Amino acid sequence: MMLKDIEARMQAKFADSPLKRDETGVTGARWSVELPISAIREAAMEFNGAGFFLESITALDFEDTFELVYHYNCFEPASRVTVRVLCGHDQSPASVCDIFRGAVWLEREVHDFFGIKFAGNPDMRPLLLPEDADYHPLKKTFGKVGAYHKREVIYG
Amino acid sequence: MDELVRNEAGDRIYSLNLGPQHPSTHGVLRILLDLDGEYIVKADPVIGYGHRGHEKMGENRQYKQFLPNTSRIDYLSGLLYNHGFVLAVEKLAGIKVPERAKFIRVIAAELNRISSHLLWFGTYLLDIGGITPFLYAFDDREHILDILDTITGSRLTYSYCRFGGVCRDIDWKFIEMSRAFLKRMEARWADYEALVTKNVIFIHRTRDVGVIDRELARQYGVTGPNLRACGVPFDVRRSEPYEVYDRLDFEIPTGTKGDALDRYNVRFREMQQSCRIIDQALDQLPEGEVLAPKVPQKLSPPKGEVYSAFESARGLSAYYMVSDGSSGPYRCHIRVPSFGNLNVLNDVLPGTLVADAISILGSIDVVIPEIDR
Repeated sequence: MMLKDIEARMQAKFADSPLKRDETGVTGARWSVELPISAIREAAMEFNGAGFFLESITALDFEDTFELVYHYNCFEPASRVTVRVLCGHDQSPASVCDIFRGAVWLEREVHDFFGIKFAGNPDMRPLLLPEDADYHPLKKTFGKVGAYHKREVIYG
Repeated sequence: MDELVRNEAGDRIYSLNLGPQHPSTHGVLRILLDLDGEYIVKADPVIGYGHRGHEKMGENRQYKQFLPNTSRIDYLSGLLYNHGFVLAVEKLAGIKVPERAKFIRVIAAELNRISSHLLWFGTYLLDIGGITPFLYAFDDREHILDILDTITGSRLTYSYCRFGGVCRDIDWKFIEMSRAFLKRMEARWADYEALVTKNVIFIHRTRDVGVIDRELARQYGVTGPNLRACGVPFDVRRSEPYEVYDRLDFEIPTGTKGDALDRYNVRFREMQQSCRIIDQALDQLPEGEVLAPKVPQKLSPPKGEVYSAFESARGLSAYYMVSDGSSGPYRCHIRVPSFGNLNVLNDVLPGTLVADAISILGSIDVVIPEIDR
């Protein structure tokens, strides 16, 4: 499936979430889309069906919310797409580990660093931190940090 | 042998701790193996022993202060990571790089790629019982370290790139040494082929061992030579060309089956392609500045995000940074290829022999501190 097809499908499926194109290449992605937290799995299934792979999952900690950032990419032709999901500090997003098997570790890493528990991931042991770790070092409330912003400060 | 338990069928299953300190794990990696006789039933890699918190450090520092960290993420291809980081910051801050610096970066990066592959070549064969190739490979690698030493001043943890160029121009001595190295390697490939590639024992240890096919690679996000070994010509240098890679003529070696032998062959041919790249870049090297003028010491890029991918020696690496307009990133995420490449072992190891596990682990060329970050 070509990027154009999945673009059309995503637009039809998530009509409320417009695709943001990037012509400059700075974000590294052809387009990005901000989806509601309930649409994580649906989006993952779309990309899985289109032959994409999950390049990375990471998160950002803002004063008002977490932001999960999923980067999907395709081998041929290479076409990176960013999916953003806002996830409240007490919310628990759905796991995509039964769609992309490699996501088990990616989600464990996000849990390590941010304390975000993925519902449906069978293995939420610490991956990079010690097994008895009860802290989440990439939260802005941990250790020395420069600034703790609301999300709108950066994305307007 | 920790414990003896029985599975549902009543066979005796026992656990074996491979690592954390094991000569073949290339860093501190522990794999908990459940064994049925010599066969692996379940493998659970345990990582994180080398976690240093590079991402947190990135958020606590100015962009420039993070430069020395970059080459310590994957210490075998330090220059590539160093290069990738400045690429990302240059994109974020909109800094233009002089032509000559672009070529120099490519030359230095490809030299580093060869040195990383040579180290893998030597240690992989050491893992599966061949001691002599290790000595050959380290002899060759030493030449690269000497060459890079003349311009960077380091042997392993290079911090050579700067925002807007490189810190030191290359001179006639560097060019002469590089040319001599390329000439030396031309004769060396035949030696390696005779010694290893055509070696029957080696072929028996690697053929049909640890097959990673296209679908499995996609499921786990495997990239780099491990992916190309199953026939997917996916290389960031070709798919999202950075610096001057789109102006250089090189092939992307691919395999067919995706077994350990294919992975070996892909890396082996990649070294030859890197030599080709260096040769061309030296020919086309333009005159001029190597560092853009007027790049402020304290960078404060505009608000926004950057995701900048580059091809490290092990696959697709990327820096994802979010700027809040201050002098350091609000978030600094590093996508490392070894993460997916090791993760796939959860699926590849079950069903194989313990002896093959060593061969598979070596053939996927992981650098554990890169995963741990």
